[in-house]
Amino acid sequence: MTAASTANWAAFDRPELQAGFAQAQGGCEVRVALDGMHCANCSARAERLLAADVSALRVNLVARDISFRFRPAQVRLSALLQRLDEAGLQPRVLAHEASATRAIAQRRRAFARAGVATLCAMQVMMLAWPSYFGVQPQPPIEQLLRIAQALVATPGVVWAGWPFFSDAVRALKARSLDMNVPVALALAVAYGASLWRVAHGAGALYFDTATMFVCLLTLGRLLEGRTRARAVAHLRALSERRALTAQRLGTQGLETVPINTLARGDILVVAPGDALPADGELLDARAELDESLLSGEAQAQLRARGHALLAGSINVGAAPLQLRVSHCGGDTRLAQITQLLDLAQTQKPRLQQLSDRIAGHFVAAILLFAVIGLLLALARGAGLDAALNIALAVLVASCPCALSLAVPAALAAATDRLARAGVLVANAAALGALARIDTVLFDKTGTLTRPSMRLRRTRALAGLDVNRCQQIAAALERGYRHPIAAAFAGIASGLVVREAEQIAGAGVQGLIDGQRYWLGAAEQAPVALQLPREFQIADGCTRIMLCDTHRALACFELESPLRSEAPALIDELHRRDINCEILSGDSHDAVSAVARLLKIDQRAARQTPEQKLQRLQALQAQGRRVLAVGDGINDAPLLSAADVSAALPQGAALAQQRADLLLLGDSLTALPLAMDIAKTCNRRIRENLAWALGYNLVVLPLAMSGALSPWLAAAGMSVSSLLVVGNALRLAPAARKDGSIVGESVAVAKKPLGRLAGNV
Amino acid sequence: MASLYLLIPLGVCVVFAAIAAFVWASSNGQFDEIAAQADRLPDDER
Repeated sequence: MTAASTANWAAFDRPELQAGFAQAQGGCEVRVALDGMHCANCSARAERLLAADVSALRVNLVARDISFRFRPAQVRLSALLQRLDEAGLQPRVLAHEASATRAIAQRRRAFARAGVATLCAMQVMMLAWPSYFGVQPQPPIEQLLRIAQALVATPGVVWAGWPFFSDAVRALKARSLDMNVPVALALAVAYGASLWRVAHGAGALYFDTATMFVCLLTLGRLLEGRTRARAVAHLRALSERRALTAQRLGTQGLETVPINTLARGDILVVAPGDALPADGELLDARAELDESLLSGEAQAQLRARGHALLAGSINVGAAPLQLRVSHCGGDTRLAQITQLLDLAQTQKPRLQQLSDRIAGHFVAAILLFAVIGLLLALARGAGLDAALNIALAVLVASCPCALSLAVPAALAAATDRLARAGVLVANAAALGALARIDTVLFDKTGTLTRPSMRLRRTRALAGLDVNRCQQIAAALERGYRHPIAAAFAGIASGLVVREAEQIAGAGVQGLIDGQRYWLGAAEQAPVALQLPREFQIADGCTRIMLCDTHRALACFELESPLRSEAPALIDELHRRDINCEILSGDSHDAVSAVARLLKIDQRAARQTPEQKLQRLQALQAQGRRVLAVGDGINDAPLLSAADVSAALPQGAALAQQRADLLLLGDSLTALPLAMDIAKTCNRRIRENLAWALGYNLVVLPLAMSGALSPWLAAAGMSVSSLLVVGNALRLAPAARKDGSIVGESVAVAKKPLGRLAGNV
Repeated sequence: MASLYLLIPLGVCVVFAAIAAFVWASSNGQFDEIAAQADRLPDDER
């Protein structure tokens, strides 16, 4: 949506549109992208323009957006937008995502909890300081210190540790034991017993242990959560680029209306370059549409009058198109595909992590031992106080702190390491499965091949110079946006075209130096063509002809070029005994050509999303662990159901959000590296778990016998945790000055790829 | 030592004030973009 196409800002004052904005403190919160904001001066100007009329104004120069709160009763949003537009800041209201707002609130609360836990833990330790060193203050002062500890520990345990309590309750309600159960129990017992002892003025306190426990656990979770939030932030930005308004043809001509006021039968006008706001029926004779968001295929689609058009596709023709709305809102195909995705996601096989399997038994054992310790002490004739001491020592010392850090610390380190290699991990659980992959399913278009077309060969047919033919073609295609035009974009041409015209469904034509030329598919040519036989070979190429008014001048062979890194990648995968398969919606010829080049035997062409899903389920039924690599929404059900999925970022935004791994840098090179890192990560997790379990086996008898004093229990737990984190961080080694990365298996993976990269 | 009867409760009050200030600041998004601060330096190149 450009500034010019929305000169009419009034639609943004409509209550239907504003209903979508987040409401806070009697105002609407809105975020506006300012594409024209380039420097600190611009952002200061934007602030000055709005400051008088809005509150909670925040400018983000990095993301080039501005957010503010306004009161619809007092100020018109359209006036604010108009003001920004006139200042040249190119405002664009960003689509409101309820889930995004929720995620931000969650992240803020997690950060606040970790901060409060840390603050409380440090303050409690300050107040407990005399008892650490055996200093005996006067009894009233000591009691005052104990009360102060209880007060300061309360927000640190109750508020900051609240998620552990609520998760534990949820787990118990579901009749299962997870790590939150002993954590919550230890916190409750340590905090409750300490409170009771404060009230009675005697006995050791565990406030320091409890708060430090919460602090370590929340920091670990925060670390993991932030790394994952970084991975999805730019994806959210993509989904926010949806249009919020549509141009509707009303009784008084064209009006700009919010998309949620559209109804079946409305007639909409979509400018060139804009996305369709709803499904509908084409009213113009012809139109050209980029449906790559819906099909993942880059070819612009030609549609004739009466054909169904889909919301989310882009009008790539030269003229505005008209459509009559048939489905809008949640009824569009785009929305339905999203629902299909949700379904596929719920059916996704649960990734069993090693720690999850162990945790259930481990937790039960800890609880059992704590109770046994308590009963044994009571049987030996110790008082309830001493018995409780032993039970607490068991819970605190053997609390699965290291165990609970073992997995997230390694995952966070691996995520960070992968991000630096250009792979964003959207779903950390997928790393475990990635290490055990034995089959890879590839989409073709945009995955193994580049999404745009490339000129492979030019054959001059009428004695004309090849360069001259290319220059004529480049001049004719100049200014168009479809994939064929992209193939000629790199050819410099000084020729001037007059009366340039696009004949939808056929090609382009124009006058150059007084001569009329035509460029398009051979079957559509305006003159009868005698094609040599070699032009009729089905080898997956697209052929287009250049003609003048009476004969063919040249034939251009276009192809979707293979990604340069694809052959090396497939070789590398074969070397690792990983099966590769191509599942593509494209023609048999095109798929076979690519499969031959890459030496892939298993291939299937003309696949619908349902067929792709069936093939995947058949493989999974054979016990295969499948990685799916693709882009576009038609791959998305496949990506969701696969054990692990990877997507290339220039694909449709939706597919990226469903994928476990996002390959940045428009390249497949990082895949073997990601598998290596996943393997290393799995090894680290296993080492960490082994350490945590070993430590607990040693410490448990000590705690049970009552030989472990409280400070020793807490110290042992901390050292154990530090060791686990340190081991996990070995996974993310620092980059060397020459840019290479110091890592064990990483260097091995890079070598063959580096050697082969230049071959294609 | 008598001063401790005043200083300890005062210290506890200060901790609670700090907690309140921190929660207020983080729920208002003050820590949303810690890493972005580095990019806020004047960018004269563009």
